[in-house]
Formats: sequence, structure tokens, C-alpha cells
Amino acid sequence: MKSIQREHLAGLLERWSERYKVFAPCRQGQGECIFDRFDEETFTLDYRKPHLPPKAEYLPQSEVLFEVRNGEYRAPMPEGDRLFFGIRACDMMGLRQASHFMNRDVVDPYYRSRNEGAVTVVMACKGPQNETCFCTTTGSGPVSSQGFDLQLYDFGDRFLVEAGSPRGNALLEEDMFDAVDAIWAQGAIQTFRDEASRAIPVVPAVSEAMEMLRNENVSDEVWDYFGTKCIVCGGCAFVCPTCTCFNVTDSVRDRESGVRVRAWDACLYGGFTKEASGHNPRGTQALRLKRRHEHKLRYYSEGDILDGLCGCVGCGRCSDFCPVGIGTLEVVRAISRNTLSP
Amino acid sequence: MAGLAAAFGSGAMTNSINEVDDADLFFVTGTNTTAQHPLIGSRLINAKERGATLILADPRHIQLADFADIHLRHNIGTDVALLNGIMNIIIEEDIYDREYVERRTENFEQLRSVVNRYSPRVVEQITGVDVRDLEAAARAYATAEKAMILYAMGITQHTTGTDNVKTCANLAMLTGHVGKPSTGVNPLRGQNNVQGACDMGGLPNVYSGYQQVSSEDVKKKFEEAWAVDGLSGTVGLTITGMIKAAQRGDLKALYVMGENPMMSDPDSAHVELALSTLEFLVVQDIFLSETARLADVVLPAASFAEKTGTYTNTERKVQLAFKALDPPGSAWDDWEIICEVSRRAGYPMAYDSPADILDEINRVTPSYGGITYRRLKIGYGLQWPCPSEDHPGTPYLHKERFTRGLGSFLPCDFKPLAEVPDSEYDFLLTTGRIYYHFHTGTMTRRISILDREAPEPRVEINPGDAKRLGIGDNDMVELTSRRGSIKAKAEITSRVPSRVIFSTFHFHEASVNLLTNPVHDPVAGIPEYKGCAVKIRRCA
Repeated sequence: MKSIQREHLAGLLERWSERYKVFAPCRQGQGECIFDRFDEETFTLDYRKPHLPPKAEYLPQSEVLFEVRNGEYRAPMPEGDRLFFGIRACDMMGLRQASHFMNRDVVDPYYRSRNEGAVTVVMACKGPQNETCFCTTTGSGPVSSQGFDLQLYDFGDRFLVEAGSPRGNALLEEDMFDAVDAIWAQGAIQTFRDEASRAIPVVPAVSEAMEMLRNENVSDEVWDYFGTKCIVCGGCAFVCPTCTCFNVTDSVRDRESGVRVRAWDACLYGGFTKEASGHNPRGTQALRLKRRHEHKLRYYSEGDILDGLCGCVGCGRCSDFCPVGIGTLEVVRAISRNTLSP
Repeated sequence: MAGLAAAFGSGAMTNSINEVDDADLFFVTGTNTTAQHPLIGSRLINAKERGATLILADPRHIQLADFADIHLRHNIGTDVALLNGIMNIIIEEDIYDREYVERRTENFEQLRSVVNRYSPRVVEQITGVDVRDLEAAARAYATAEKAMILYAMGITQHTTGTDNVKTCANLAMLTGHVGKPSTGVNPLRGQNNVQGACDMGGLPNVYSGYQQVSSEDVKKKFEEAWAVDGLSGTVGLTITGMIKAAQRGDLKALYVMGENPMMSDPDSAHVELALSTLEFLVVQDIFLSETARLADVVLPAASFAEKTGTYTNTERKVQLAFKALDPPGSAWDDWEIICEVSRRAGYPMAYDSPADILDEINRVTPSYGGITYRRLKIGYGLQWPCPSEDHPGTPYLHKERFTRGLGSFLPCDFKPLAEVPDSEYDFLLTTGRIYYHFHTGTMTRRISILDREAPEPRVEINPGDAKRLGIGDNDMVELTSRRGSIKAKAEITSRVPSRVIFSTFHFHEASVNLLTNPVHDPVAGIPEYKGCAVKIRRCA
């Protein structure tokens, strides 16, 4: 366990930037916060829950798998090790679940080259970052329990820094970190965790809904209700840290040149499950929504969820951004109440 | 645009998108809002859930129909009759806003005498809408505290488009639902900057800010601003007028920017003929569109992500967007291309950046006077009118007083579609758009996931009609009008009423504008895309 002065953090990231591609919370011109390449000018520690998880950095929105130029094949591989600084515990769990899934059955060299050497630095949450946080329910926060390299605890003018891996321990060798009394630090962190967890009440509807889904005890009316108002934007999938579905397409320039690209896809689009015959096993929006939420809450693979509750990490972004209120929170509440009034 | 300008003095959405969240009632007509303005559509759905009332007037059973308290499925092209019928009931039952009408409007007696002819029974005959629904809609709209009318191309794309708009304006004024927050007459503009293009004088009769080209003072003002003499005071041609003039040989050269008339204009076969008659055709676009293929010169332009500049959205809000990528190949920003063309034509334009251009807009356009680059850079946009730098912008128009002074009732009589079905062409074709594609598909059909979602043209036909004609789902059908013929797969759906066919203009494989009727509104010049007569048969 070490500590670092708040005022030294930017310098630390500067130093890390010599070895890593550092991604950190940045304040944009009009006030929004995103994860982007570290830049001292825009770097901020006052960022709450960024609108997007750092997913685009581990699975780009679109990515060239290979290109053919004048008959010559070339597969561009991302280079350089990455360091994700300041990600929230929910996003840490999202990254872990996504990586487990993406590396489970086959090696995805593109995904792996981005993430195998990636360093993760979690910023533990003192409490809810907004009203949709429910990480205490999904077992993913407000503090990470494992899988990270470093985790920072905000104590005002300084941060306690916990290592979660040998690589994290090595990073703590930097002279910018100060030694702290281990026993005192353990106690301080324990208090931090307890207080933070208490500040984010558990949402019982999540486990109730999971139970009802397992027991096939959910009326189709729930899905019909949501299916009628879904506008099929796919936004819930794009803001979700654990949604990693993509579509692969070829763009042919001429006989000798072209690119193969993969891009984010969403299970709420009809074409996602439509078969070559024209048949679609998820032929209505209600069925597609049912499948999406069942995948998160019921049909996840036990091995992929690691130490979390399910395939949802409780970041609440789908509830933050769905224009018509079809986030996980709204869905589980509708299921557990078994009534449709909002 | 022309209709609202005549009634109120300003041709734009009277209120703002955020105000949807506080309205009590919505009268939505001629807009498939969830498909074409999905974020506004979402607000309507949310409004329904918080208890607002939704009246939908649309011949098709669109997604919003599932949320509507009253769905008026009027016959296509009978909008004036429908709205006059609603006003007839409101006046008859004396639930109009008498105080508002007296204080803020003129021409009420004229309105009363026209509307008087549209008794509920007559209107039921013309529109096919049940009298009880008509009465319920009239009462709900008139008595709502805050009621918004939303419309789009389903109102405007008719030979009676301007009449339809004026009639919407009449209804709003009659009930006092304009000039207040969360009310008004709100045309939803279809493109991110079509309001901006109009505001900047992309119309045949005005300079920026709707300053008339025929006004001597305005002419002098722009001659001074641009240091030139002899600007024309003559009103120019509309797009439909240009195509006709080209066909006659009166128009020799055409410079098309970001538009694909080969697919977007009615009666495409004649458009192609007209364009090939031109001596010189220039097309400036981001892709080689169907129109660009015919051009003598193609000027490659930068896409939205490759340039910095402002857009004016449907609620009159000017927003600044920054360049994210360099344009590919030899593509340039539109303003750079125009400056270079102008320089070579002997009039160098002294702009170094979009900020320079906005500076000039601020100087010569009163309603944009305070919408400066400096302010846009630090905020989320400003709504015109915004005459000076200390003005906060205007969320809703016509507060206390209409732009033109008194609001003018401009009553119209119902006129049928220019081409109605007969025994040979026995179906009515109405055209529109789907969620996944934009306009002629120049951009969206190049986006793999959007093209996957909607890869081919479909023709919507009612189950009863399909059965009678032996057409099965996905069967290839041939649609024929007096102007042309296309083939596409049938989609059997009760979304369309009986004897109505719906299709879109997104697909070059079956370009629906080969069929449409090139007649247009006499004032606005907008073609009647929403109704023409066709016949349909199953392909062997």
C-alpha cells in the first residue's frame, strides 16, 4: 500500500505516458467528460461517471481487420501497451467480463493485442456517481475486489493506492508514491469501502427479476410493453461495458483492393438475428428486448461473469441514456412489480 | 414555410423541442416521428406515459398509433377538410379562445364562413373519419391547456401543401395555442440544416434572414456588403421550376450541391431528360450520386465530420460542430469550393474560415446578429431571433405579438389530390421514408449495418388488397403509374389502409419517383409526393 499527493497525479500520468498509451478522464470544451488519451490540459479528477465506459479503447467502434492493397494483404495490429487510468469499479468489472468472453473459445488477436498488456488503474467510488448506480447489487463496486493492477482511494489531498497484481506492485516502485503505514491504510480503506457501499443501496428488484426469469415467471406483456416503445437506436448496447457484439463487413474498392472491417452491432436490430432464409427467430422488438435482458440476467455463462452477479455490471448507463426508459433498472422493476405502470 | 410566413410572419417551428416535455396535448399529423425524428418521437412516448394526450392524424398505422388516444386515419390528401371539420366543431361548440382571437388575430369572420361549410357529416364523407372521433379530437385540442401541433412532410408534400400549413396555423390561433410555451405550430424539418439553408437564403426569393430580393433597400444593403452593383431583384426558380426550365431549354447550367434530384424529384424519367438537356451540370457532393454521374464536373466535398461550421436545426437553434477528421483525397469544405469557384469567376471572396463567414452573417442578418462564433464556441447553441450579443435567443416565437403583428386567419377550401385513382390506376401511392435510410440513400446505403437492416425496397400493401390480387408476402410486384414503372417486393401489412400503397425513395433499384406526379404546390413549389394513382400486379 502506498499513497500519492493529489497534485502529483498529473505528473505521474505524464511519466507513465513515456511507457504506455495512457487513457484518462478528460474534460471536453463544453463540459462533458470522456476517456481519452491523457493530456495535462484536459485531464480532470472531477468526472463522476463518464457517459461512456472506456469500451472504445478495448473494442473500437470500428476497426480494420485487414486490408488488401494492389493484391497485398496486411493486417494492422494495434501497437503499444495501454494504461486505463481512473476507470470506475463497474467499468473494471465490465472490462474483465468482456475480456474473459472475448478470449474464452478462440483467440481474437485484435482484442488480445489491445488488452493483454493493458494496465488498469481503478478509481474507487466514494458513493453513487449518479442516481442510476447499482453496483452494490451486481457485486461490481463501488470498489473493485480483484482484477485491477492499481486502485486509488480518494482521501482529499492524497490518494491511498492499492496494488492488485504483481504488475501493480511494480508500478508502485515509482518514487512519486509515498510509503504509508500498512495497518492504518487497511483500516482506512475498510472504512472507505463500508461507507461507500452503504451509500449505494441494493436494488432488490434485480435479483427478484433474475429469479422470476429463471422460473419462467415473467409475462410476455412486459416485453410487449417495452417492445412497443423501443425506438431501435441500439444505444443501450453501445453504452454497455459488457456488450461486445460486432458485425464484419467487406468494403471492396476494386479487384485488387479493399478492407475488412468490424464494427459494433446491437442485438436490438432486426438484422442481427435474421437468417439467410429471411426467417428471424427474434422477429419482433419485444422478442429482441427479451433476449437482450435475458442474456444479461439469465443466460450469461457462469464462467464469464467472474465474481459478479450476472452479465450486467450495474453502471446504470442504459437507464441514463435510453430515450424511452428501457434500461436494466426499468426492466427489472417492471418484471419484479409485474405491473407495467412506470 | 410559405404558409406559416403568411399567417404568422415567420416560417419556422414556433416552439422548441424541450417544450414537448411540458405540453398536455399533441396533435401530430404527417410526421412518422419515431422513425424520422426519433428523439422527438421518444419525447412523445414519454409524454404519453406521464399522462399527456396524443391525437394522431395519419392515414398509416405508424408506431405512434400504438400510443394515440385518438387516431384519425383520414383519407390521403384530405388534411384541409379534416382540420376545417375540427375547427367547425370548435366554433360550433363555442370552445374557441374568443379573447385570443379578438386581441391577437384578424380575419376571423372569413375563417368562420369557410369553416362553416365543413360540418362533421360532410367531413366524414370526405375524410373517412368517424364523426365521434372528429368531435373528440376537436374538444380535446381546444380545451387543452398547452397543446402543440407537430407536422412534417405529410402536410407539406401536396399540391395543397401551403393550404395545409395555413389550416394548421388557423387551428392553433383559433384555440390560442400559439405564442406560449409548449404550444404552437411546429414543422419538424427533415435534415440537420435545412432550416439553416432556408435561413441563409437558399430559396428563390430571399437573402439571408428572409430579406426579400425584390426589396430595393435590401438590394442596396447587400450590394454595399459585397461591394458589387446590380444584384438582381428578380425572384428565382424553385427546384421543380428549374427542372421544367431546363427541359424547355431556358435553363442552360445548373450547380447542384448535396442534392440528388435524379432520385428525389418527382417523375425521374423527365428529370433525367431535363438534366441531359443542360449545357453544363456541376454536382458538389460527398459521393458519386445518381445525379453526379450525369455531371460535366463533380466537385468532391467534405462530409460533416470533416469540416467545421454551424448547423441550424429544426427548432431554429444554431449549433457549432467541429472537424474531427481530414477530408479524404481531393475533397474540400463546401465553403472553400465555393470561394475558389467565385475567385476563378472573377470575384475573390475574402474568407479565411467558417468564423469569418459567420461574422458576415451576423452583420447582414438581423435575426442572426447575436449568434456569434464566440458565443457558439462556449455553449450549446442559440435560437433565432437573436439580434444582439447580449440577447439570450428565442425559445418560442410570437409571444404577445406575431412577427407580422396580428396573426392572420387564412382559411382554405378542400381541394382533392391532383391525380386520384380511377378504374385503371386503382391504387393511391403515397411515398415516404423508413427509419434506417436517409433520403436517396447516398450515405446510408453505404453504411453496412443500416443497409443490412433495410437492404431492399419494399412496397407496403394492405392484407385485404393483397389477398384479392393474389399477392403473397415478399412476392415481386410491379407498380405502374402514368409516368413509369418499378418492381419491388411486397410487404403485406395493415400499416397501410385499403387501396393505398406505401413505398420510399431510398432505393435506386426501384426509385419510387419514377412514378410520382410532378405537380406541385403553386406557392412553395413542393411536389405532391404524398399521393398519385398507380396500379399494382404480381410479377409472373
